[in-house]
Amino acid sequence: MATTTSIGTDSSTAAAQGTAMEITVNKADLLRELTATQGVVERKTTIPILSNFLFEAADGKLSITATDLDLSLRTSCAAKVKKEGSCTIPARKFYDYVKLLPEGEVSIKLMENHWVQIRSGRSNTKMVGMARANFPALPAFPDSLSMQLPAQVLRTLIGKTIFAISSEESRYTLNGALMVLKAESITMVATDGHRLAHIENSKARFTGISGEMKTLVPKKAMAELNSLLQNSDVESIEFAKDDSTLFFRIGPRVLTSRQLTGQFPNYEAVLPRDNNKSVALRCEELASAIQRVAQFADERSGAIRLKLDKNELRLSSSSTDSGESEDSIEVVYDSDPMVIGFNSQYLLEFLKVANDGGVRLELKDSQSAGQLRPDDAGDEYKYRYIVMPMRI
Amino acid sequence: MNSTFKTYFHVDMDAFFVSVEELFDPSLKGKAVVVGGQRDERGVVSAASYEARKFGVHSAMPLRTAAKLCPHAIFVDGHMDRYQECSKKVYAVLNRFTPKVEMASIDEAYLDMTGTERLFGPPLKAAHALHEAMKSETQLNCSIGIATSRVVAKITSDQAKPNGVLWVIPGSESGFLAPLDVRKMPGIGKVTEQRLHELGIRKIGDLAKLDDAFLQQHFGAWGAAMAAKARGEDAGGWFDAEVGEDEGPKSISHEHTFSEDTRNEADLEATLLRLSEMVGRRLREHALFARTVQLKLRYTDFSTITRAHTPDSPTQLDTEIYSEIRKLFRANWTRGRTIRLLGVTTTNFEAQEDASGQMNLLSTGTTSNQHQRWTQATAMADKLRDKFGDSSVVLGTSLKRKLRERVHENPADRKKPEQ
Repeated sequence: MATTTSIGTDSSTAAAQGTAMEITVNKADLLRELTATQGVVERKTTIPILSNFLFEAADGKLSITATDLDLSLRTSCAAKVKKEGSCTIPARKFYDYVKLLPEGEVSIKLMENHWVQIRSGRSNTKMVGMARANFPALPAFPDSLSMQLPAQVLRTLIGKTIFAISSEESRYTLNGALMVLKAESITMVATDGHRLAHIENSKARFTGISGEMKTLVPKKAMAELNSLLQNSDVESIEFAKDDSTLFFRIGPRVLTSRQLTGQFPNYEAVLPRDNNKSVALRCEELASAIQRVAQFADERSGAIRLKLDKNELRLSSSSTDSGESEDSIEVVYDSDPMVIGFNSQYLLEFLKVANDGGVRLELKDSQSAGQLRPDDAGDEYKYRYIVMPMRI
Repeated sequence: MNSTFKTYFHVDMDAFFVSVEELFDPSLKGKAVVVGGQRDERGVVSAASYEARKFGVHSAMPLRTAAKLCPHAIFVDGHMDRYQECSKKVYAVLNRFTPKVEMASIDEAYLDMTGTERLFGPPLKAAHALHEAMKSETQLNCSIGIATSRVVAKITSDQAKPNGVLWVIPGSESGFLAPLDVRKMPGIGKVTEQRLHELGIRKIGDLAKLDDAFLQQHFGAWGAAMAAKARGEDAGGWFDAEVGEDEGPKSISHEHTFSEDTRNEADLEATLLRLSEMVGRRLREHALFARTVQLKLRYTDFSTITRAHTPDSPTQLDTEIYSEIRKLFRANWTRGRTIRLLGVTTTNFEAQEDASGQMNLLSTGTTSNQHQRWTQATAMADKLRDKFGDSSVVLGTSLKRKLRERVHENPADRKKPEQ
């Protein structure tokens, strides 16, 4: 009977797979790689296979893959492979369990019907995974087209822009930062429609680029990249892209991200050119004054008022709920007095990532975008932050 | 003391939907009539005539249950447009007696009649005139309760039904309330009633005898409000506000129960779009912008989830509401599971689009351009709808799913949260 045959075929495949994978790995090695994948494993998913890891054992190593379809991470650790093969396993449960295991060897063996046996010392556990065939296929790294990006520079670029990315999903093209690569510079720009962070490094050199190469990097990929870079000492990472996917290779780990399609707004048009009222401030001093005053700002809008007067910057706020507050900073200022409102949160987010030291606040009038530029010690980076005012 | 009395009327239309249907089809008069749909349909009863109520039929009951209880009843589809039209006429009559009219629902209103004695005479006389005017101008019967608080006025109109006027003389409130079942009190539903029964409290008089602390201990803040109501005072929820003090809606929502459960994605999304349009239209009618958009999803097994999202900027546009709702839907619907009910709710209202005052950096960008164009298009569509009816202009996708609007007549026992 046809039915019986097909069941027979299925179970024999399963059996073939089922007896296939058998490995031993060091617990610390395994845990390190599992930890690296935590940002990628989907917690709340309606597609069950996405809460699983894909394990593939071959050539003396165990490859671990996690994906949420937008973002995937593939990593590996050394393993004694007794039998090559693959399986999937519930990611969260497995991770929590491995954390609790004593240091030493962990053996992982695929049994029948997707059961996976995990043994370590005197501990013995069985978990049930899903058919390996259900795990989504991931695009392979296109080695031929890759380029090197300096890890440290990339970290800096991400750190100084990621906070300005819109978390508003309906503004699709603002859900990522624009990375512009030229032969002699790399630039990253992020905006949520109210403020914009722009940073350029013109010390880095890139070969194989004619003109400029623009890439929209999704926020989630930026965050993941940032945390992978933080936990790695590689000097450079490999970057490549095809029509739909971005690829980043950080040491042994490969992060792939779906590309954001669409047009990043024409940000160059909104960069202020004639902000002629300017004061020099200390980041820390400005930040703490804003923090104090913001305590008494309207909770929802976070609006504070900045008043520039002769040699004084006065910050103030008031709310019907909490009261009112004022702070003032001595500055060198001799132009016309002016008042402007800002969302305190927008200013603080920038000051938090700006280097400690001096910052220049450049304004035009109460209706036009303000600009903040840290006085950088070196000339390696050019960093500017543009914020639209609030009506006050 | 006597000049400081408030005088409230609670005017409640008698079997409103049924009476309106009778105006259009006089042969229904005196028969058992169920409004809301046909006997074998999936929906619920919107209203029932007094004859049908004798058989245990009440609003919000499944139509099929009503058909079992009262097999000889005549089942009629609801006509929201007719009820709204009549409700407007009712309001016009009420508004002549006092400017302080608060329509509590489509068929009942609170009137603050304090200080109208010189115009209309003592309360009973005014009520009689109102009752007559209502009958002659709308051909509809109503019942009127008169009291010094809205809570008592509401209970009184219920006692006056059908087609009666009843006045609780100032000072006699507690005596009037005492023998009534606790369930008669607005805000006490099945659950609270049962809990009160467990405590041995059956009559409003039992409630009034207890001290506030006891009720507060068992029912929290709501307990204190309940005690105050038992003494005949307005307290708790919207009874705290003055009549005619328009607080505006706290949320606007529409739901749809499928006549047959479905997992057809195109159908489901078309329904969500239609619901988003209905919600958007009402937001614009109230000139409100919603910050929070919420999806309600009920599967065949009645398991229900609600998921909400608060985008950066508040909206009143159908397309923007729908785009949020669709995202929530796609992220939360377990594909392949059949769905019984979908709902779209908006809350967290603001009177302005950019209440925060934050200016835009990319005001020339595509997003806001699109927003601008949709705002204009929607305003035009609304004008057409005002002129030719709500279904004259709809977004393409939602054409697949034309929904019949359902509103329940005075579902008093279901409307207010219990606690």
